[in-house]
Amino acid sequence: MRIGETLLRIDRRVIYLILGIAVIAPLIKPIGIPVNVMPETQKLFDAINQIPSNDKPLLISVDFDPAAMPELYPMLLAILRHAFAKNIRVLVLAIWAPGTGLGEMALQTVAPEYNKTYGRDYVFLGYKPGMTAVMLGMGESIRGVFPTDYYGTPLDSLEMMQPIRNYRDIAMCVSLSAGTPGYLEWISYAGARYGLKIGTGVTAVSAADAYPYVQTGQLCGLLAGLKGASEYETLVERHGYSKAFKPACQGMDSQSLAHLVMMIFIVLGNIGYFLTRRQR
Amino acid sequence: MNVSLNPLVWFAALLTLSIFSFLYRDNPFYRFAEHLFVGTSMGYWIALTWHNAVKPNLWIPLVKEHNLLYIIPLILGLFYFLRFVPRLNWFVRLPIAFSLGWASGVAIPAVLQASIIKQLQGTMLTPAMFNRWDTGLWSIVILIGVICTILFFFFSAERRGIMKPIAQIGITFLMIGFGASFGYTVMARISLLIGRMQFLLRDWLGIVQ
Repeated sequence: MRIGETLLRIDRRVIYLILGIAVIAPLIKPIGIPVNVMPETQKLFDAINQIPSNDKPLLISVDFDPAAMPELYPMLLAILRHAFAKNIRVLVLAIWAPGTGLGEMALQTVAPEYNKTYGRDYVFLGYKPGMTAVMLGMGESIRGVFPTDYYGTPLDSLEMMQPIRNYRDIAMCVSLSAGTPGYLEWISYAGARYGLKIGTGVTAVSAADAYPYVQTGQLCGLLAGLKGASEYETLVERHGYSKAFKPACQGMDSQSLAHLVMMIFIVLGNIGYFLTRRQR
Repeated sequence: MNVSLNPLVWFAALLTLSIFSFLYRDNPFYRFAEHLFVGTSMGYWIALTWHNAVKPNLWIPLVKEHNLLYIIPLILGLFYFLRFVPRLNWFVRLPIAFSLGWASGVAIPAVLQASIIKQLQGTMLTPAMFNRWDTGLWSIVILIGVICTILFFFFSAERRGIMKPIAQIGITFLMIGFGASFGYTVMARISLLIGRMQFLLRDWLGIVQ
C-alpha cells in the first residue's frame, strides 16, 4: 500500500523536472531515432511534387501565430524549400494577422538559398481581415481582394501575377493552420465552392479532427504537428531538394523521449490507483 | 558554447525563464512576464487592427478617396459603441443582425457541403473501396463507428435490447477518439516545450547547433 500511496503523491515539480531533462538531453546529445513517413505526409509531398515547374503557383496560407511556431514554422520552411527547389512559383498570404511577419521571415530565409527573385518566382500578399470574404473574393478575383502585394506594389506590375486571376490559376493551396480560420475554412469556401485542391499542416492538437477530411479526399495531404514537419523535412532532404538544418527533426528525439516519460508516469499513476483502491 | 550577444535574445530568454518559473510556484517574475505579455499583445492588436483593417478598408476610401458609400459601414460600426448608452443600446442589434445574416448565408451552404454532405459520402460503402482488402476493412469500421456513435446520442430510445450493445460500441469508438485527441494534445504541448528549449539552447546559449 505504501508503494501505491508514494506513486500517487509524486510531486508535480518532480514530473516537470524529469520531463524537462527528457526534452533537453536529446537536444544536447541526439539519439537519432529514425523518422518514418506517414502516408498522409507522403500524399502532400506528392501533390506538391506534381505541380509543373514555372506554371501555376502554389498558394501557401500562413494561418498561425508565434504560439504555434515550433510545429508549423518548420513545415513552412520545408514546403518553401521543396517548391523553390522544384522551380514551383509560390504565392504566400496570411489569414491570421500575426502570420504576416512569419510568412515574410520564411520567404526572406528560403528564397536567397535558391536564388529566387521576388515578383517572378514568388509573391507575398500579406494579411487581409475578413477571412470568409477574403477566401470567397479570391475565388472571383485575387486583384479584387489584394489590389497590391504586402509592399504596396500593384499585382499587375509583378511578372508572376500577370496570368493569375483567381483560384483557377492556382495549382493548389496549403493551409498551415493553428485553428480558426484555417484548413476547414479553406475546404469550405475555396475547396467545396471553387474546387481548389487543398492540403494542410496542422498543430498536433487539431490533427485528429483533420483526418476525416483526408479520408474523404477533401484534403490531398496532411502534416500533423512536429512529427509531420519532421517527416516533410526528411522527404525534402531524401529527394535532394535541401541540405538545410532540420529543426523539426532535431526535436523528434526529445518528442519521443518525452512521450516515453509521459507513458511511464501514466502507468505508474494507474498502478498507484489500483494498489490503493481497496483502502478507499 | 556560443552565447548570444543580442540583447533582444537575452530579453526573450529571461522572459521565457520567468514564465517557466511558474512551474515551481507563483512568483513576481512570472507575474511581470504575464502582465507584460497581456499589455504588449493589446498594443500590438490595436496597431495591427488600425493598419490592416480600419485604415485600408475605411479611412483611405472614405477620407482620402471620398467614397461616401463607406459612411454606411462607418455608422454600422459606430452603433457598437452605443452599447455604453443605456437608452440607445438597442442600436447595437443592427450591426449584429447584419453580420449574423451575412455570415449565416455564406457559411451554412459551405459548411453543409464540406462538413456534412462530403463526410456522409465518405462514410458510404462503394465497390471501389473494396479494390484493396485494407481500405475495404477500414471503410466498414468507419461505417460501424459512425452508426454506433450516432445511436449512442439517440436518447429517445431506452438502452435495452439491441440498443445496449450498439451504444457500448459507440462509446468505445468515442473513447478511442478521445484517446487519440489526448495523445495529439500531449504531442502538441511537448512540441511547444521543445521549441522553447531549442530557442534557449541554440539561439541564447549556443549549446546546440
